[in-house]
Amino acid sequence: MSTESSITSKLEEIKREMDQTLPHASEEARATLLAGIEEQLRSGKVEPGTTSAGRVGSRAGKVSELTVIAPLKSGGADRLRGLFKLTNGYFGAADRVGTVHDMRFVFLPGDEQMLFATTFDGDWDSYIDDFATQIPVEMDLLFSEVEGWPGIHDPSVKDFIVKYQHTAAGWYVASPDLTVADTRRAQKKAELVDEFLDNAGSL
Amino acid sequence: MTDATDAIDLDDLQSLVVFRRPAPYWGSFVLARFDDEAQGRAALRGLLPHVVSAAEWGAGRRNLSVALGLTYEGLAALGVPSESLAGLPAQLRDGMAARASHLGDVGDSAPDNWQSPFGTGRVHALVSITAGNEALWRETLTAAGSAIDKAGVEIVGRQHVAALAGARTTFGYRDGISFPNIVGLPESPFTAPERPVATGEFLLGHPCESGAVLPMPQPDVLGRNGIFVGVRKIHTRVAAFRRFLKANSKDADGEELLAAKMVGRWRSGAPLSLAPTADDLSLMTDFDQLNNFTYADDPQGLKCPHGAHIRRMNPRDTSLATLSDPRIHRIIRQGAVYGPALPDGVLDDDGAERGLFFTFMSARADALEFLKREWIDDGNTFNLGSERDPIAGNNDDGEATFTIPARPVRRRLRGLERFTVTRGGEYAFVPSLTALRWLADLET
Repeated sequence: MSTESSITSKLEEIKREMDQTLPHASEEARATLLAGIEEQLRSGKVEPGTTSAGRVGSRAGKVSELTVIAPLKSGGADRLRGLFKLTNGYFGAADRVGTVHDMRFVFLPGDEQMLFATTFDGDWDSYIDDFATQIPVEMDLLFSEVEGWPGIHDPSVKDFIVKYQHTAAGWYVASPDLTVADTRRAQKKAELVDEFLDNAGSL
Repeated sequence: MTDATDAIDLDDLQSLVVFRRPAPYWGSFVLARFDDEAQGRAALRGLLPHVVSAAEWGAGRRNLSVALGLTYEGLAALGVPSESLAGLPAQLRDGMAARASHLGDVGDSAPDNWQSPFGTGRVHALVSITAGNEALWRETLTAAGSAIDKAGVEIVGRQHVAALAGARTTFGYRDGISFPNIVGLPESPFTAPERPVATGEFLLGHPCESGAVLPMPQPDVLGRNGIFVGVRKIHTRVAAFRRFLKANSKDADGEELLAAKMVGRWRSGAPLSLAPTADDLSLMTDFDQLNNFTYADDPQGLKCPHGAHIRRMNPRDTSLATLSDPRIHRIIRQGAVYGPALPDGVLDDDGAERGLFFTFMSARADALEFLKREWIDDGNTFNLGSERDPIAGNNDDGEATFTIPARPVRRRLRGLERFTVTRGGEYAFVPSLTALRWLADLET
C-alpha cells in the first residue's frame, strides 16, 4: 500500500519524466495518461509492470512473452502458408503443451523473415528439453523453414532462439496470474458449479 | 530412444553414481582448496587410489563410497584450459550461490546466510566418503585426509553425517528408496515399474532420452562418463513440522496419515499408493514392492495427493497439466543426515542444527534448478496453481496451502511454514576415473 505522500511524489516524478520523453504530446493526452497512472497507483492492485522471463523477454506475473524475428529459407514462407492452410488453425501439439496462451506466425513484407510471437506460462526455456522428447516432429515441422534451424534435438537450439529474440517494448496482459492450466481448471469448475446449481434449481 | 548396446565401462565410473547408501552409515564431506596447479594435481594423485569405482563397488566394496567432485574454481585451479572452462554450464561457471534466484534460495535460505565455506569460491574439491561401519569410515577419512595433507592442500570445511536410529531422516521418514534404473548400470535393489532411463540422462557422452548426446565438458576425455552434481546442506525445522502435523490432526494416527500425505510415503517408507489408509510395515523389507507402483489407479490423487513430495519429484505416469517428460527430470539423489535427532514428542525448537546433506546427480546441469523452480516451488504442472511442495517448498509467505484430494470434499490445509532451509551448497563436476587421471597429469 502506498501512502498519499508517496503517490503524490511518484506522480510528480512521472510528470517530470513525461515532459522529457513526450514533449510533443498535447495537454489533453498528458492529462489522460497521468490520470490513468494515478488510478493504477491508487488501486493498490498488483505492482504493475514486468520482469525478465529468463535470458530474453518479459514476464508479467505467471505469464511471459516471446517474440522472434528469424530469417526464412527461400520459399519457406509459401511452404509454411501451405502448412497453416492445411491445418486450418489446428495446433494439437500446442494444446498438449498446456502452457501456450497463443502463437502467431507473421511473414514480414518480402517473405524473407518470419515474426513468431507467443504468450506462455513460466520461464521460456524450462520445458524446451521436454519438447525435444515429446513433440520433436511438430517443433521441427514449424521451424525447419527458418534459416539455420539446428533442430529441436540440437543442444544449441536455445542459443539459436535467443539470437533472434527481441524483448517487447510494450506488452499488456489481462490476467497475469492465470496460467493456461489455471484457466482450464477455472472453466471446468464454473461448468460444474453451473451444473450443480441447475440441478438444485430444478428440484 | 536408448542405446542398449552402449557398453558402460564401470571401471571408469566413480561409485557415487551407482552407490546405495548402507544402513546404518557414517560419512564425511571434506571440502578442500588448491593453492596452485601443482598442489592440486598432487592432491588428485594422492586421492585417486582411494576413489572407489563403480566396478569395485559392484565387486564387493558395497560398504564404501569415496568420490571426488571438482567445482569450476577447482577445475580452473588445476589448470584446465580456459576454452574448456568457458564451455562449462552456467551452473558451474556461476556457482550455486549466484544461482540463488533459480533455486529459490531466498530469505532464510539466501547465500548471505549460508555457512562458510559454501558460496565463498573457496571450495575447489569435494571428497565424499560414506561407509557402512564406523571403523571403515574413520580409517578412510584418515587415509583421504592424509593424502590431502601430504599435498599441502588446505581443508576449508568438513561435514560429518551419520544415520539416525532406523536410518530415518530428521523428519522421521525412511529415505533412499527410489533410484532411477539406468540403461547399462546396475539395477536399483528396489523394483520399479519404469523402463530404464537412457544412460545419457546421467552419464555424459551417451545418448539421452531424445537420442541426442547432451553437451559435456571438453575435451571428451574430461567430460565422458562424468556427471554433474549439486550438493546442498538443508537444515530441517523439525519442531515446526511436528507442530503443523499436530495442529492439523485429531490424534496421533491422524498425524501419521498427514505426514504420509505430505510425502507420499508413510514414515516407514511404505508408499500411499500401496498402503493408502494405514501403514503397512510388511512393505519395509519387501524390496520387490516398496517402490513398485504407478499412479494409473489414482488419477485424482485420492491415495497419493498430486502435491505430495514423491509424486512431484517423480510423477511417473501421472497425466500432467503441462507437457512434461518426467523421464528427463530424474535425478540420482543421495541424502545423508547431519546433526542429532529431535527427541520424540518435542514440539519446541531446541536450536540445534539438523538436516540432510544432499548430493543430486544428473547429466543435465540444470536438473536441480528445474525441479526446485518448476515442481517444488510451483504447482502448475500438477494443476495445483501456485501451490508448492509441502516439505521442500518455500512456504513462508503465510499463504501456502496443501491440498489433499478426498471424498466427498478435498481438504486444504493452511499454516505451512518453510520446513527446510538451505545452509549452503555447491555445483561440481564428478569426472570419470580416466578424467581424474588426465587432470592429475595435466600439463599446460
